[in-house]
Amino acid sequence: MYSNIILPRQWSRIACFCRLSTIEGQKLPQSGKSSDGISPPPRIPRGPTDILQALAATVGPDPTAAHYKYHDDPYLIPLSNYRKRAYALSAEAGRKAAAWIRDEHASLFNTREWDPPSKLKTPYYNADPIIDAFEPKPIYNEESKVTEEDLKYTINNALLDDSIKIFQLLGGIENISEETKLALLQFLCFYNEKEPDSMEWLEERWFSANVRERQLATWKLGGLADKIFASIEPKTPEAYCAVIQGMAKHYQAERAHALSQEAIEKGIPLSTEVFNSLLACVGFLREGTALRAEALKGLLTQMGEQGLSPNEETLTACLRSISSWGGGKMLQELALQVVAEFKQLGIQPGLSAYYYLLCLFCKERGPRIDILSGILVDLENRENLDAKEPTDTNFFITAMGVCSDHLQDINMAERVHALLMKGDNYKLVGDAYKESIYYRHLVTVACRHAPFERTTELLDTLVPNVYVPEPSVMEEIIKTLEVAGAGERLAQAWSQLVVFGIAKRVRLVERLLSAMSSTYEYQTEEVKGKMRDAAADILKFGKIAENEQNAKDLRTPVQKLSANAVSNIVELCSDVKDTADANWDAVSEGIQRLKQSDATGVPSRPQALADVALRAATAGKLGIAASAVQYLAECGFEEAVPASIQALGAVLNRPQEEVETLLEKQRADLTKAVHPSALALVDAYYLAKTGAPAREADSSTSSDSDSESSSDDE
Amino acid sequence: MSVFIKHYRPCGLVSGFNNKIWRYNSTTADVATSKNEEDEEFRVLDILKKRDRQQRRVARRADVQPDRADRMAVDQNWGNVWPGPKSFHPSSVPLPLRQGYVPRGQAPPGKKANAELMKIPNFLHLTPPVIKAQCEALKPFCTEWPKLLNSEEAIEKHYPVEIISSDYCHASPSIRNPLARIVTLRIKLSTLNLDKHAKDKFIRLVGDRYDRETDLVTITADRCPVKKQNLDYVNYLLTACYHESWNVEEWEKDKTEDDMEYYDWDKNASKKSLVNWYLRTKNENRELTDEEYVAFDISEIPNGEEYKNAVSNYLNDGESEVTVKNYAKSVRKLLGLPEAKVVT
Repeated sequence: MYSNIILPRQWSRIACFCRLSTIEGQKLPQSGKSSDGISPPPRIPRGPTDILQALAATVGPDPTAAHYKYHDDPYLIPLSNYRKRAYALSAEAGRKAAAWIRDEHASLFNTREWDPPSKLKTPYYNADPIIDAFEPKPIYNEESKVTEEDLKYTINNALLDDSIKIFQLLGGIENISEETKLALLQFLCFYNEKEPDSMEWLEERWFSANVRERQLATWKLGGLADKIFASIEPKTPEAYCAVIQGMAKHYQAERAHALSQEAIEKGIPLSTEVFNSLLACVGFLREGTALRAEALKGLLTQMGEQGLSPNEETLTACLRSISSWGGGKMLQELALQVVAEFKQLGIQPGLSAYYYLLCLFCKERGPRIDILSGILVDLENRENLDAKEPTDTNFFITAMGVCSDHLQDINMAERVHALLMKGDNYKLVGDAYKESIYYRHLVTVACRHAPFERTTELLDTLVPNVYVPEPSVMEEIIKTLEVAGAGERLAQAWSQLVVFGIAKRVRLVERLLSAMSSTYEYQTEEVKGKMRDAAADILKFGKIAENEQNAKDLRTPVQKLSANAVSNIVELCSDVKDTADANWDAVSEGIQRLKQSDATGVPSRPQALADVALRAATAGKLGIAASAVQYLAECGFEEAVPASIQALGAVLNRPQEEVETLLEKQRADLTKAVHPSALALVDAYYLAKTGAPAREADSSTSSDSDSESSSDDE
Repeated sequence: MSVFIKHYRPCGLVSGFNNKIWRYNSTTADVATSKNEEDEEFRVLDILKKRDRQQRRVARRADVQPDRADRMAVDQNWGNVWPGPKSFHPSSVPLPLRQGYVPRGQAPPGKKANAELMKIPNFLHLTPPVIKAQCEALKPFCTEWPKLLNSEEAIEKHYPVEIISSDYCHASPSIRNPLARIVTLRIKLSTLNLDKHAKDKFIRLVGDRYDRETDLVTITADRCPVKKQNLDYVNYLLTACYHESWNVEEWEKDKTEDDMEYYDWDKNASKKSLVNWYLRTKNENRELTDEEYVAFDISEIPNGEEYKNAVSNYLNDGESEVTVKNYAKSVRKLLGLPEAKVVT
């Protein structure tokens, strides 16, 4: 029960020995040092968590470990995006279930039932001090007796549905005080009468796919907020501020502006925040850039007339409006003008302001404008970046997108990344969706423009614990690996494909195979072996997937590898000297698959298969050689003839000319002269030469059986 | 998929494991066929369910990644990998550890699936570099040590009172622990400013809270519910005892020689006889009062001091070989007798 027992020794000092009762040391000197060399110096003031934070700052990131919300165990570390999401949300589902039980059976947690006789129940909390967040949440329904205190509680804890219910139970507008009415109005306006996502469920917020917010007028006209506002008499400035901000926030721009004009006419003072929200939706009032810009300036001057000084949010709101009106020279100039003017007032643009500037200047199909470097210089000089607005989390993903698509500059990307990793700036990455897009941009730009060593270093730290590449990024990575000729990493890439759950993407696998076959010849023997194993495994994996499809009767059919890919596998696997090597099985299976037209299309490099036939013949795998040549002949490739001659030459250990003269003879003569398994090669030769098998229709079956018997021989 | 697995676990352990699985499958298949044959002849009562247990299949996942210990860089910062206390986990610790009892001549079991390693508390989170880094991080919160308190003696001299209390930290909804209220105060009696009488009285007041051997007075308080209250209480007790011991009550004067808790040679018959004997050896025949006896300066008697000490020790410390011998020696010296010859 008691994990740590600490025995502090406190020394209380005795001033003079004869008088014990006055213990000195309570009167502390004010200098940093001990005043007389004996009494303790004054305590350095610190917050309750300062020590913990100082200790936590000594721990850096560990690239080999998964996020700490997952179990540190090979069986439980998620390696694909799907698993990451599933594991984290499962854990949260457990927490939610526990919270549900706590709320449903609250009496089990906050009352104590005494033993008979009277079955007395008394309130009891086992927690000391009581932690409000862990207490059962009250449940309100039609029967519950509520007071205004309950309403205040729900408003303070952002329980919107409950607060509306209590409001109704209390009997509507008449029965609550003005103060609570205002609080409720502000609450309703902020959330637009929609229950907000709970702050308690971090994983749900992290993984919820935040689609970009649509700019639609979602304000509930004639809703409860409007009714409460109408009932407030006389209308206070706070009520006006709340309603105007709520309308502006939910894009009811015209009414918001009308109300603001009304308030100004009545001489009701409005706050800076009201003007900020009006500025953010000023574009909805007018059409056309020039008129909108004019309206924006008009609002700003109105603000000045009211005697309000702008703040950082004002700048952000202006830039937000400007950036949402499209692009163009004029708007860009306007934006710069606004920023310059605010800088004169001593207001530095925040992350959101920079985000809108990037949106405005770095259009996908626009001219390349490098405003990011200036922004980075400014941000790098700041002590720490604080999140002030929800849009602040858009900055890093946009900046990285600009580095990747617009500037295509790896140095800039690395600067952005360094800034994100500085201090605790990583909290500005947003959510899982934004994080993965951020890393997609980073990895893409690194693959395209960074030196290979830096790319691999980056990949090693990011993949798979921080970021799991999507198929498109994986393709980019494979391309980079191919250019660099990194065979070992290509072989590794296959296992990564499997682990990341994207091994069934045929396009990706084909890309990988062609990369492997084009880099194969430059590798060392050891790496070659690994690549062969990977290639054989690809074939096996496809087979398993097919079996699974047949067994489970899946809706989406498993795509088949193309003939090109299969011939790549065959080519890779056949490069073995040892006749007993397991890879020969993969070769024969690959050729079998080609012959049964289990693969789409025909190979683009028939010479590769011809080489395979020769190698197989040299290794004594006559069946494989025969079926390879036969496949070539069936497909009508010219390479079939020389291939069959070469293979026969290798089998019979004779020079080519001799083989050619031998093949001139009748087949019947050959049957006696040549080993039956070699006959299949001869058949293939005739097939290629004449377009028809030399023997009758049964030849194909016999050749099949021949090949089987030959493989049995070995 | 086996290739893939092998690739992922380069140690070769898995391939061996794989073989075992294959063998295992084939044996179970044999068992199944033989079972069919048996069924026709005779049904066996299988109490221990050996057969079922054998046939249970082990579901194994194929896409398990290798230990992350294999991927760790040699120059990594270990503090980042193992930042806090936790039970041992083989896949995160890149050390070839072995632990467990085995018969002689065998190697102890390796780190995987080793309960022995998980049972013992480890200190992997407190490696010397980590301790150094944490100390550096905590330095800004520390004040300078007072310069004159540079030795244990100085500390004891300037801060004689020692307060001992415990704080408890445990995983439970409540942070309270009833044992945290107990406060103990310790002080060396010699550091208190007491005269002979006050010291005697103080010792009598504190009773068994005083340890004669270490000279420590230990006062423990646990009667109040909160630590602060108990702390105030022990301070009060010490103060009260101190001042009380300085008080001299009227009745204390009634204390007679019989009430003395120790032997005071000056007030006893031994001194009287010595003085009388001394006077007689000088041929003076005086009658002395009790006060004169007490005030008599024995330093003029040769070897008188030694005799006094020997007698006091003999009576105060109890009879032992040393005290008896000392007594004998001092008596011989006093009377001018030769040293005792040790007969062996």
